Formats: sequence, C-alpha cells, structure tokens
Amino acid sequence: MATNIPANLKYTKEHEWIKIEGDVATIGITDFAQSALGDIVFLETPAVGTKLDTGATFGVVESIKSVSDLYVPVSGEVVAKNEDLEGSPEGINSDAYGSWLIKVKMSNTSEVSNLLSAADYENFCNNSH
Amino acid sequence: MSNFKTHLYDEHVKLNAKIVPFAGWDMPVQYTSVKDEVIAVRQNVGMFDVSHMGEFFVTGPDALKFVDYILTNDIVSADNGKAIYSPLCRENGTVIDDLIVYKFSSERILICVNASNIDKDFSWMKSKLSGFNCELTNRSNDYSLIALQGPKSFEVLKKAFPTLTDIEYYSVTEMGSFIFARTGYTGEDGFEIFGTHNEIKELWNKFLSLGVVPCGLASRDVLRLEVCYPLYGHELNDELTPYDATLGWTVKAAKEKFIGKEALASKPAKFKLVKLQLEKGIPRDGYPVVNAKGEVIGLVSSGTMSVTTNKGIALARIEIDKVPTDDVFLVDIRNKHYEAQLFKKPFVTGGHK
Repeated sequence: MATNIPANLKYTKEHEWIKIEGDVATIGITDFAQSALGDIVFLETPAVGTKLDTGATFGVVESIKSVSDLYVPVSGEVVAKNEDLEGSPEGINSDAYGSWLIKVKMSNTSEVSNLLSAADYENFCNNSH
Repeated sequence: MSNFKTHLYDEHVKLNAKIVPFAGWDMPVQYTSVKDEVIAVRQNVGMFDVSHMGEFFVTGPDALKFVDYILTNDIVSADNGKAIYSPLCRENGTVIDDLIVYKFSSERILICVNASNIDKDFSWMKSKLSGFNCELTNRSNDYSLIALQGPKSFEVLKKAFPTLTDIEYYSVTEMGSFIFARTGYTGEDGFEIFGTHNEIKELWNKFLSLGVVPCGLASRDVLRLEVCYPLYGHELNDELTPYDATLGWTVKAAKEKFIGKEALASKPAKFKLVKLQLEKGIPRDGYPVVNAKGEVIGLVSSGTMSVTTNKGIALARIEIDKVPTDDVFLVDIRNKHYEAQLFKKPFVTGGHK
C-alpha cells in the first residue's frame, strides 16, 4: 500500500504521528492508519489539563465498523485539543497530517528518542502486512 | 486450514477489495468506502457476492410437507413462486438458523441458508427426513450468488436480461440455469441471482460495466441493521427461540405440526429485541444497555454508525422482566452512559416493493 510518511515527523507502531516543537508534542494518526480504518465517524480525546502516561490509552477513533484505541506516545499534560475535528472527524481521512488530535507538553523529553523515524516507520508498515 | 474462496474471488482482488475471513470464507469487506457503498445501494444500485451462502434443494412428492414440518413459518399456504423467511428450530424451540425458502412448486423447493450454518443445517434436516417421500440435496458448491440491490436494480437487470419479465417482491422465477428472486438483505428493491459459477462471474462483470457499485460485507451489515433485519450469531443463536428475538410473526403456532411447536407454545420470551438510536456515541456489539438507575438490563446484539441517518444505531437484547416501562434506555460506551431513543419502526425505511 502506497502511503504518505512525511520525513519531518516521528511515529509509533500504533500508527500515530508526532510533531516535536520544543517540549510540545502534536499528535495525530498516520495516513496508513486512516486508510486502514476507512470512513472515520467518531473521535474522543481527553480534556485540556489531562495528564497522560506513555503507553496508556488516551482516546478512541471509530470508523463505521470499528473502534481503535489511541495510545499515548510521550508522557505529559494535554495543553490543546482539536475541537473542530471532533465535529468533523472525516477530516482525518482527507488530511491525516493536517488533522492533529491533541498537543501534549512533555514531562520527559528524552522519551522522544523512543519514537520511530520516518524511515523506521515506513519499514514497519511494509513488514506489517 | 485455509479459507474457502468464492468463484468471484479473483474479481474482488482485481477491484482492490479489502478481504477478510468470514464464516470460513475469504470475503470482500469493502471495495472503496463503506459509506459510498451504502449510499450506492440506498440511492442507486450496488451488488454483493454472497456465493458463500448455502443452497439446499428439496424435491419429490413430500417436499412441501417436509419443509413445512421443519420450519416454524407457514410454507403450505404460500403460493408457488413465493419466497418465505423462516427460522429453523429444534424441538426445544431454539434457533438452528434463519433462512429463506423459495417455493417453485410443492415438489421442488430451494432453501438458502447462512454460510456459517451450512453443515449444521444440512445434517439436522437430513436427520428429520425419514418418513417423508422426498430428497434433500446440498447444492451449495454448484451455485454462485449475486445480490443486486438498490432502486435501480430492475433497470440494470433488464439490461442484462432483456426478456426477463417483472417479478413480484418476495417471489422467484427461473430462466435457463439462472434463478431470480426479488429478495435481499438491505431493505431496498433488489434481486438475488443464483447461477452456475461461470454464468455468475460473467454477470458480475456485466453488472460492473453497467455501473453497478461492488459492495462488501461491511456495507451489507450497515444496510441490514438500518432496516433492522436480524443476523444469525447476533440477534439469533443456538440458545434463543424466535420469540426471544421478537420474531413471533415467523412462528405460525396454529400450524398442525412442526418441529418446536410444543416447546414454543409453552416457553414465554426471555428477551425483547429493541431498536435504539443514539444522538452521540456509537453502540457496538456486546456493549451493556442500562436503565435510568444505571442497572444493566441487556446487551447490544448489533451496533454501528448508520450511514443514512448519521447516528449510532443498535439492536439490543433486553431481559424481558427488565424492559423499562419509562422507555429510558442508555448504552454503556467505555463506562459512560449515552442516552438512547427507543424506535418502534426501523431506523431507515427501505424502498423495496
């Protein structure tokens, strides 16, 4: 499957993308993920101020026929959520990298080194199906 | 063990369908998008490969007597050329399968059953044959089956078969080795077309060239749930009676003799199947249903986002003594309770004739 994986972002094996700017991580789901899910119809993300621990679930994204958990890629506190997207989650299908879900102020920036590079993520996608 | 493949499998691969295992078969779950496929069927015309379903023929002098005896619905009173939906029950009233009977004549009857239940149904029916002067044959491997569904179905069908005359809703007719039934699982006008593998493969491609949208199992499930048709394994199973699935209309208790008659006459329903629609949240299979006090009263048997209404919809099995008299139903979605509206009628009114 041809998929779009921008080089300037970090990734997880749970098919999330992370944009790092200082100690703030902007989080979304990848083009690969939106394509696998199909028509996205529902999104649930935590309120601003919520503290998140790496590996825990922080919300769900639902397509017509499926429910997928969202996993915290880096620990920290939610400082912003994309309210517009909750009303029109299909935006993720049309532009996965333009459709961020939450912004997290990281509590431990060294966790960034655990994330996948674009090349590693591409490799992972190619070997996962 | 690898899964079975229908004779249209290569056509699905050519169309880039996403393939998933279903009831022992590798089946297309979607081609482009579930949403587009549902809309095609509601507004235009779509088609499904349902060749995995089972076809049994009952033939001979006692064919009608036998079929009427093993099923709860009334097959005897139906005219020749009619289709009849019926549960197939055990002596204790539990449902082995739900199926469609196509009554060509009192001596030749086709029964179309769920793919997952072919072996179970066939051995059950065979075990009940003694004393009846008729033959039961499993022709599931001889037939492929396309469901052509949507308001433009007949228009398209006429292009492929110009000499075909109109067929009444829930009726069946034959032409050469083709069987045309005006039945389906979407609530829209449509046809189920049985034929030999080669004929059906050719027909699939003919329909494609006529602009029919190929649709997968995911859109089929949304379509049937929007019009509240039951699905075996969800609304029905080996533990439930037709009454437990609020399918009392399919049990003709006045019939003189049929398997399950005595048990069904004495067993009141344990559950009520209700239709619930949510303004917010999407109900899914197995989610608990709670009352105003937050007590669990049942479970969602099938749930999805409706493409047509853009709301969460569900069929839910509620314990009969816990059905709320205030009509307040909530669905527990990830430990949060979402209000649900009780529907008396299906969420979507299909346009079938």
